[in-house]
Amino acid sequence: MKMADGSVILRRNRPGTKAKDFCRWPDEVFEEMDSTLAVQQYIQQLIKRDPANIDLILKMPDAQDEGVWKYEHLRQFCMELNGLAVRLQNECHPETCTQMTATEQWIFLCAAHKTPKECPAIDYTRHTLDGAACLLNSNKYFPSRVSIKESSVAKLGSVCRRVYRIFSHAYYHHRVIFDVFENETHLCRRFTHFVTKYNLMSKDNLIVPILEEDNILDESEA
Amino acid sequence: MKIYGNLTMEDTSIRENGGQIQMGPQGGSVVNNKPSEQGNSQVQYSIPGILHFIQHEWARFELERSQWEVDRAELQARIAFLQGERKGQENLKNDLVRRIKMLEYALKQERAKYHKLKYGVDLQQGDMKPPVLEDSNNVDSQAETESPVVANHPSWRQGRQLLRQYLQEIGYTDRIIDVRSTRVRALLGLNNNAEQDENVNGAPVNGNESNKRASETQGRRTPAKKTQPSSLAEAMMMETEAAVMVNLDFLTNADVDMEDDDDINEDVELEPGDEMDDDVKAVKRKGKLDDDVDAEAMEVLNELNLLSESVDHQRQDIKEESNEWNKGLSYSSTGKPCRQLRINDEENIDSTLGLGELAQLTVNNDAETTYDISSSKEAFRKTWNAKYTLRSHFDGVRALAFHPTEPVLITASEDHTLKLWNLQKTVPAKKSASLDVEPLYTFRCHTGPVLCLAISGTGEYCYSGGLDRNIHCWHRSHGCSMSNIDPYDLFEPEVLNCTLSGHTDAVWGLSVLHSRQHLVSCAADGTVKLWAPHSEGALLNTFTSEADGVPSSVDFVNDEPNRIVAAFNSSHSIIFDTETGKPVVRLESGQDSVAANKQINRVVCHPTLPLTISAHEDRHIRFWDNNTGKIVHSMVAHLDAVTSLAVDPNGLYLLSGSHDCSIRLWHLDNKTCVQEITAHRKKFDESILDVAFHPSRPYIASAGADGLAKVFV
Repeated sequence: MKMADGSVILRRNRPGTKAKDFCRWPDEVFEEMDSTLAVQQYIQQLIKRDPANIDLILKMPDAQDEGVWKYEHLRQFCMELNGLAVRLQNECHPETCTQMTATEQWIFLCAAHKTPKECPAIDYTRHTLDGAACLLNSNKYFPSRVSIKESSVAKLGSVCRRVYRIFSHAYYHHRVIFDVFENETHLCRRFTHFVTKYNLMSKDNLIVPILEEDNILDESEA
Repeated sequence: MKIYGNLTMEDTSIRENGGQIQMGPQGGSVVNNKPSEQGNSQVQYSIPGILHFIQHEWARFELERSQWEVDRAELQARIAFLQGERKGQENLKNDLVRRIKMLEYALKQERAKYHKLKYGVDLQQGDMKPPVLEDSNNVDSQAETESPVVANHPSWRQGRQLLRQYLQEIGYTDRIIDVRSTRVRALLGLNNNAEQDENVNGAPVNGNESNKRASETQGRRTPAKKTQPSSLAEAMMMETEAAVMVNLDFLTNADVDMEDDDDINEDVELEPGDEMDDDVKAVKRKGKLDDDVDAEAMEVLNELNLLSESVDHQRQDIKEESNEWNKGLSYSSTGKPCRQLRINDEENIDSTLGLGELAQLTVNNDAETTYDISSSKEAFRKTWNAKYTLRSHFDGVRALAFHPTEPVLITASEDHTLKLWNLQKTVPAKKSASLDVEPLYTFRCHTGPVLCLAISGTGEYCYSGGLDRNIHCWHRSHGCSMSNIDPYDLFEPEVLNCTLSGHTDAVWGLSVLHSRQHLVSCAADGTVKLWAPHSEGALLNTFTSEADGVPSSVDFVNDEPNRIVAAFNSSHSIIFDTETGKPVVRLESGQDSVAANKQINRVVCHPTLPLTISAHEDRHIRFWDNNTGKIVHSMVAHLDAVTSLAVDPNGLYLLSGSHDCSIRLWHLDNKTCVQEITAHRKKFDESILDVAFHPSRPYIASAGADGLAKVFV
């Protein structure tokens, strides 16, 4: 992408770009991003560079509106969760997973319908992601991506709670898929750290044992 | 024997004469004396008397004979005239038949289009060949056909020659010449003034001619007089002939005159613009005089200038509208010759020049067609306003496509999903001018950004290509009930109809050939692949051109369904024959392709003309002739890279999107920008990634890197 004479770098995926070159351009300093989508650009840039470096990805730049920061991260999570949903589609059939469950403790009802109902797991997944997409793109609650009302920020918690169930279902019922996906994307780990850091979910609900693993790792290192 | 017969024949008449003349028995003339002698006694034949009689008779016969000759010549002339008239009628008929054929063809095409849109299958109706062959014949022979009388000239001239000869002999001149010239004028339909009156009594004059001639000749006792008026007759003859020739010239030049009319129109159009410019200049001068010209003032002036320019353009657009269809028609029907004319060097094309040459091509006044089309165009010409904002994607929308008939569209995004939207299912507007639409369905199967999209002619199937190297075919079993989907319905695995895997790198371009249900794709692995997605062994052919690099966009050549055009990131395009797999035409500018990044981001084919349009990274849109491979027109179209193109289903307008955040609507005839809309925000250095026309409804749409799609009405 970079031109030889040091002329302007255009960060573009032109038609014909090879998959390995997609979005492969020199990083741009966050302060120099003048777009209204700077936060999304910045987050994606960090993930692209190293999806495992969760601390860096979740480190909010100075003087950044926290609501927007959380909002853009959640958008990114929902987007990447599509990847998990696609994998689940191949294995998680309505006949085998007739209900959205993780542990035996809860059956989750799908909130996408007028009266919440027991959708099969795959439908719960799809409906939840679709619903999250609608909510997060709603002109009513999130008309701007530069500043977000406090009342709308409150909505983020419930979205987090719902989409987290996709992780937990995959973890408890489709472990192979979950592990492959997690190895590639570190998404559940990132998500867990994210909701913990910003207090969007209570720890009791985080039933995929990720923090525990991390703690054990930390302790053993210490 | 002869003389005897003559004698006996003449007996009666002589007697009559005798009867008449007897009242003046003293008459000194020989002729008068003789009957009186006869009357007096039958026996008294004198040699001189007989000689006199014979001489007299001979003179009379000669006179009569000359009269008959004149008659004959007159009739021959009339025959020639009628033949000319018949030929003229024939040509008129041919012309009308040609028009009928053209209209029939247009109708057939309309039907086929309609059928195709409705059922997605090509309508099988006997002869869909445009009547070009005959047309071109007609065009070739236009010179003769348009001047029917000229074609008939030799025989006509012979008749005239003969007639003139006899007229000179007899001095029978003025009247008949006048009559004939008026008749010629009548034939040519050029009666402009008092001559028309003459023409009105033309027929009675004609009818009385023999009588009149009789009386005239009676007055002219001897043919000896004939030499007297010859010079006068000759002069008259020359004059009328000249007049006729002028008229004929006028006839053959009829369309030249029409061109002149066009020119005049154009001149008129340009004037207001000039005036505006002058005004602006005047303001400018004033500003200079005022001596306090600061940057702001200059800016304002520039803006004024731009404004006047754009006004000028618009005015031009409106004025030229009536001409445009003519041009289009002539362009499509006469085919090659016109095309050749349009080809120019990249350098010296400006829109006006191209237009000027187009204007020369204007053929007949196809009044009816012009009327219809211009009115429908009038309806089409409007300002587009953003109406729907489609927000639901988490990342840039890479592609969008409309359903062929329903107000439904599908978007493909970098967030790995495709979404289906129905513009009639809007969320109740909340104090916002534009309506929000919620997606009805989300297609999930790609494991990476979805980069391209195409919808089949029936709207039943949808194809998407992604960074994950796969092409997925989606099928809505609901068919027409597409609009009645519950967004939170149960998952149906059969929505994913099939997956075409074969590409080994990101799939960047897709296009559907509706008539055959073929799909062409191009990918970053350097290949272009042709598929029959719904049959066994879906892959039909693979096309490559290693020298040209990676294909960035593909499209089917609309007027030749077995051809595809593939654009490469080296700025060249190649038209391949799908049957042979061989490249047929190369579209390359052959100029400093190294210096600037002229990569083609999108290539589209005109729906009816053999024209390919390419959008380049260097801000240009270029137009190519599919037959010669030559560049037809090139223009800087945007402030930044042009990313996307769409041609409206009628082939009149072009929509382009660019990373400068704007979409622009262009008039394809004069290549002027009709409207510019700033539509999307930038993400990194990308902004607008796709644009589209609805195939049958007045919607246009744009897709942006900001994750939104917008629909304009």
